[in-house]
Amino acid sequence: MRNRTLKFLAAVALGMGLASPLTAALAQDKTITVFAAASMKNALDDVDTAFTKNTGIKVVAGYAASSALIKQIENGAPADVFVSADLDWMDYGAQHKLIKDDTRVNLLSNRLVLIAPKDSKIGNVTIAPGFDLAKLAGDGRIVTADVRAVPVGKYAKAALEKLGAWAAAEPKFAMTENVRAALTLVARGEAPLGIVYETDAKVEPNVKIVGAFPADSHPPIVYPAALTVNAKPDAARYLAFLRSQAAKAVFETYGFTFLVRPTS
Amino acid sequence: MLDLSPDEWIAIRLSLKIALVATVVALPLGIAVAWLLARKNFWGKALLDGLVHMPLVLPPVVTGYLLLISFGRRGPIGAFLADHFGIVFSFRWTGAALSCGVMGFPLLVRPIRLAIEAIDRKLEDAAATLGADRLWIFLTVTLPLAMPGLIAGMVLCFAKALGEFGATITFVSNIPGETQTISAAIYTLTQVPGGDAAAGRLVLVAIAISLAALVVAEWLARRAGTRFHGE
Repeated sequence: MRNRTLKFLAAVALGMGLASPLTAALAQDKTITVFAAASMKNALDDVDTAFTKNTGIKVVAGYAASSALIKQIENGAPADVFVSADLDWMDYGAQHKLIKDDTRVNLLSNRLVLIAPKDSKIGNVTIAPGFDLAKLAGDGRIVTADVRAVPVGKYAKAALEKLGAWAAAEPKFAMTENVRAALTLVARGEAPLGIVYETDAKVEPNVKIVGAFPADSHPPIVYPAALTVNAKPDAARYLAFLRSQAAKAVFETYGFTFLVRPTS
Repeated sequence: MLDLSPDEWIAIRLSLKIALVATVVALPLGIAVAWLLARKNFWGKALLDGLVHMPLVLPPVVTGYLLLISFGRRGPIGAFLADHFGIVFSFRWTGAALSCGVMGFPLLVRPIRLAIEAIDRKLEDAAATLGADRLWIFLTVTLPLAMPGLIAGMVLCFAKALGEFGATITFVSNIPGETQTISAAIYTLTQVPGGDAAAGRLVLVAIAISLAALVVAEWLARRAGTRFHGE
């Protein structure tokens, strides 16, 4: 019996010994990890494909609310690049020494829009001071991401406060954990109205834009990008690629505004 | 001692309300299904058994999604109930109670079924020979004898409902005061930098409630056991 146990243990040890150089080789396979705001999903996926084609470096992208992402990075998540949907969460990253300040760049801008399900009877509205969002929603809910933390929610609340519509509309809000979840709820017809980015509305065929928030009603929408303090060397190439003409073309196709001067 | 904010108290009260409603409303159906599975043989019995246990093996988000497409505002059942009875599940605590009830249902049925299967049929037959009709036998012989199983099932269902997260947040999202249960509140707090202290407090509350439920259930089950089995 003891002989069999020893043989079994020897087999396990041999297996583990053979596996370790294999896993080490896999780890060395060139990959970088990008944490980006949920609203960037479609555009960044395309940019990543172009980057991998150009350089052979694979990109693993994690999309979520910017607040959730920086929290994960703070707790040790192995991201190399962080792209936030507002300046606050990048500032938080800088304050807590999570990002390399000298790599930080304001990459993109976006617009805040009001959406409704495609077949909604709500027509186009002008969003200006005095705009009554609560009345427009009727007895349904207005859905957006968490107004306390997620960038799109924060922009939405700021805009509505400036327009004088927040107090009446606040009880009608349903908050999701990121902007894409809000988009889906409106697309499904579960909520009559939602507040998302223009770029999100463009990729979802089952919603229509019924109004655009004036740019001066909320803090400027800026998507900063930066390397994390533990970024791999290849990540610098990725960040440079995000600023390239090729990336600019992709972002602009999806409706983002490119803020930096494109390189090559 | 535990300095909880009003938002946190709202989440706790909402969780308790939803879990209680889910368990109480699921109970009659749970007893009926358990009795059917324990006592009857019929075509499709295996299918019913499988259906009842589906929420236990499906990923909770899948269950929540299925609830969304059937009980949501535009879903077949949801639209029917909203138009004819005014019952709305979307974005409301009723939807949270529905998803908790569905997720807890298999945990409710199993112990009750096992308890009913363990009952000595001769006791029921004896009651019948003494003149009791089927319903009276069920209420005065079967149910009391199955009581420990009933209690176990209800506690498991309640505990599952209290902790339910995936299906609920997929179906009715996360609205403070309406669908934000303790689990959803903890989840939101952990997503926001700086929310760890509040999340920690809620975690302690959740542990305390669960422990209390288990202790009460144990005591009730032992009392039921002594009363009905003379142990």
